Amino acid sequence: MNRVVITGIGWVTPMGHTIEGVWKRLLAGESGISRTSLFDAATFPTSISAEVKDFNLDVHIFDHSAHKGAGRNTQFALAACASAWNMAGLPGLHATRESAGTVAESSAAKLDAAALDLDRVGIYLAGGEGELDFAAFTHAALASWNAETGQIDTVRWAEVAFEKMNATREVEQEPNMPLSHVAILTGARGPALNCLTACAASTQAIGEATEILRRGDADVMIGGGAHSMIHPFGVTGFNRLTALSTANDDPPRASRPFDANRGGFVLGEGAGVVILETLDHARKRGAKILAEVVGYGSTADAFRITDQDPEGLGAVVAMEEAMRDANIQPTDIHYINAHGTGTRENDGNETQAIKTAFKEYAASVPVSSIKSMMGHLIAAAGAVELITCVLAIRDNVLPPTMNLHTHDPECDLDYIPNKARSAQVSAAMSNSFGFGGQNDTLIVRRFAE
Amino acid sequence: MARRVVITGIGVISPIGIGHQTFWQNLTAGVVGVRTLASFNPGGFPSRIAGEVPPYKIGDFVPKSYRKATKVMARDIELAVVAADDAFKDSGLQSRAYTDAPTINSQRFGCNIGAGLISADLNELTAAMTSARSGNDLDLTAWGREGMTQLTPLWLLKYLPNMLACHVTIVHGLKGPSNTITCADASSHLAIGEAFRTIQRGDAELAICGGAESKVNPMGLIRQCLLNRVAVESNDQPAEAVRPFDASARGTAVAEGGGLFILEDLDHARARRAKIYAEVVGFGASQDAYSVTTPDPTGRSYAAALTKALREANVPADKVDLLIPHGLGIASHDRAELAGLRSAFGEALSSVAFSPIKAQTGNLAAGSGVDAAAAVLAIHHQQAPPALNTVDPIDGVKLNVSRESRATEVSVSMSSVYSLGGQNAALVFRKMQAE
Repeated sequence: MNRVVITGIGWVTPMGHTIEGVWKRLLAGESGISRTSLFDAATFPTSISAEVKDFNLDVHIFDHSAHKGAGRNTQFALAACASAWNMAGLPGLHATRESAGTVAESSAAKLDAAALDLDRVGIYLAGGEGELDFAAFTHAALASWNAETGQIDTVRWAEVAFEKMNATREVEQEPNMPLSHVAILTGARGPALNCLTACAASTQAIGEATEILRRGDADVMIGGGAHSMIHPFGVTGFNRLTALSTANDDPPRASRPFDANRGGFVLGEGAGVVILETLDHARKRGAKILAEVVGYGSTADAFRITDQDPEGLGAVVAMEEAMRDANIQPTDIHYINAHGTGTRENDGNETQAIKTAFKEYAASVPVSSIKSMMGHLIAAAGAVELITCVLAIRDNVLPPTMNLHTHDPECDLDYIPNKARSAQVSAAMSNSFGFGGQNDTLIVRRFAE
Repeated sequence: MARRVVITGIGVISPIGIGHQTFWQNLTAGVVGVRTLASFNPGGFPSRIAGEVPPYKIGDFVPKSYRKATKVMARDIELAVVAADDAFKDSGLQSRAYTDAPTINSQRFGCNIGAGLISADLNELTAAMTSARSGNDLDLTAWGREGMTQLTPLWLLKYLPNMLACHVTIVHGLKGPSNTITCADASSHLAIGEAFRTIQRGDAELAICGGAESKVNPMGLIRQCLLNRVAVESNDQPAEAVRPFDASARGTAVAEGGGLFILEDLDHARARRAKIYAEVVGFGASQDAYSVTTPDPTGRSYAAALTKALREANVPADKVDLLIPHGLGIASHDRAELAGLRSAFGEALSSVAFSPIKAQTGNLAAGSGVDAAAAVLAIHHQQAPPALNTVDPIDGVKLNVSRESRATEVSVSMSSVYSLGGQNAALVFRKMQAE
């Protein structure tokens, strides 16, 4: 089984688009949450969100003509991937379609004999659904509504829809679009998968990518996720579930994981990408190693689609499996990046699950939720949270859980309240628990030979 | 040491039958499930044909206690749940759906069910939208304030793609690794391949895997029309519409359905004397990196997926007895696929029994697990399904096709697919040898 390391990281988040810029803000306890501006949410129960601000794909990719029509989440994925790929020192990005099929020829002049074998570079992303063409969709539906029958007239619907919809906007909604675009950008031709296990998705993508590398089915895997759901029906869906914070008057303080007055999560958007590589491959090309992925656990609650299992067994087993996979003890984990959505349900259940998995050590392991600052990036959450763990290890510093002021007896662990903290961090765990009961946990460790 | 993995249950729901036995009977009898679209009036669409699943009552496929939960199932979810019931019953495994004393170890039973982009029911959503309409626009102010409350609170959960897997794990009590692959037409095969790997490395003894989807709805159909993927000249002869690799291929047909396997660790299967269909011996996956809407015309990466799967299976191309390729019936796509098949098979391509099934089923998209099911049933029955409508192969390529099913020795079969966006996947199956 190959050892798997991380050689590049990149993200596009509500708090910025550079690794160092966002990290600095996380440690300073700043917030990416503000009044929703992507659509008029003034009367929605939740009118705040964590939007990506001032994003321009030109800044990240010189020539993105091959990606015309790429939706918002795909653009985030492309930018985060470019960032991570370049950090990893991998050879020239294929930013034009022409070069994608002729990588060996076009880069022969630049690369030495150790050219990257693109058939051995794979991709595993958690790409969310793209954005609905809202105007066209709603128009077609309303124009064809037959109030008498209480149904749409599908003949009339088609007439209007064909007039208003276009192929590109429709195809770019497919969840495998970020994946497909990233492949065109990088030329990667190895195993390529997209998963969409809701809030657990990018933790799962990175975990499964790790398994592909362990087995030797690829040398390099681009792992991560990208999601953008801050649009009318996305917010509608979560508001109907009463999953979102409605603390609209004070956006930076609206996300309160583990706090007694928590009232739900804040919807965010963005992307996180990590370059995963077998240790051999990283060494051969002299890559700088940021951390090692040592553990992955994946389970299902099999309980209800609406609620987590209050006994938290699925979460417990995911954590225990990850630790067993890493061959480490609870006391070796110096930081847990919690799922910590700030919903009433999750935070209490997750606390209980950590106590079960970590036993007497639970009281001393520091736990924090960056969702308090960044919001919940849904399919991309796991990726940005894993990158956070990598940075914690790199700098021996732990990001805080902000907005933690009122003690909840159900939540009585050390959540690093309100202020970042220096600490020796050799290994960190990241939890992600999806709606419907899919649970995933990753463990990363400081690299040592 | 990689564990050996076998198939001990098959679940199918398709336009040519509900249940894997009915599916196989109808497939080999040449029944075509592509017909005039009936579940809504397709009059405004240029393509008015579809592969539709026969009527069913979802309540018949879940325990009584779960019938209420079926109200929050989109069609795609229902299809997965029905196929899962078929697979479980076929396997003999007693999940909690069938007994108060389940005999499965839930912690060691995984789930990997692929899904597509699920369309919200238009009638449900529009009924709510009308309360906040301003002409033909949705007034967001009215919607946010009042209109959205017309939607059931669990509305979003009806349409999340991971809910196919989640409902199946809840109905049957499966707590092992659970995933949802969303790679369009390649979803089922990638899910099966990943579940195969999960058992190989010892993270589970059992897994239910594959995929389901329905594109038989206005949004599903319009997308295929806008992309010029579906046949528009065959509305009067739907049975002849989908013509995989045929010189007169003129587009595919939207369809719905699902195909699931129960994969099992061989030792575990033997210990409980399970009926074993075949062994999964190879899985290959790759990516085109060419275009988001069309396959690489050289078929290079597609060939790589097939070659990887064959290499893992330790089977040379000329020892594959039956191949079920994707065979959409979209001329340019078929051509690209053929280029890939030629690369991977060489001369053996003209002799392997060649049985694309979409002439009969239409394109089940993320439900293309039915292709894999057909490849395994072929081993079980020692029969190659027909290649209906592959009458005049493109570019005069010599293919071993027949319009009728054929009894033939099938020791090794293969099923391969590719997606819009360029994901490619191939699976190789082998008949169990007497040992």
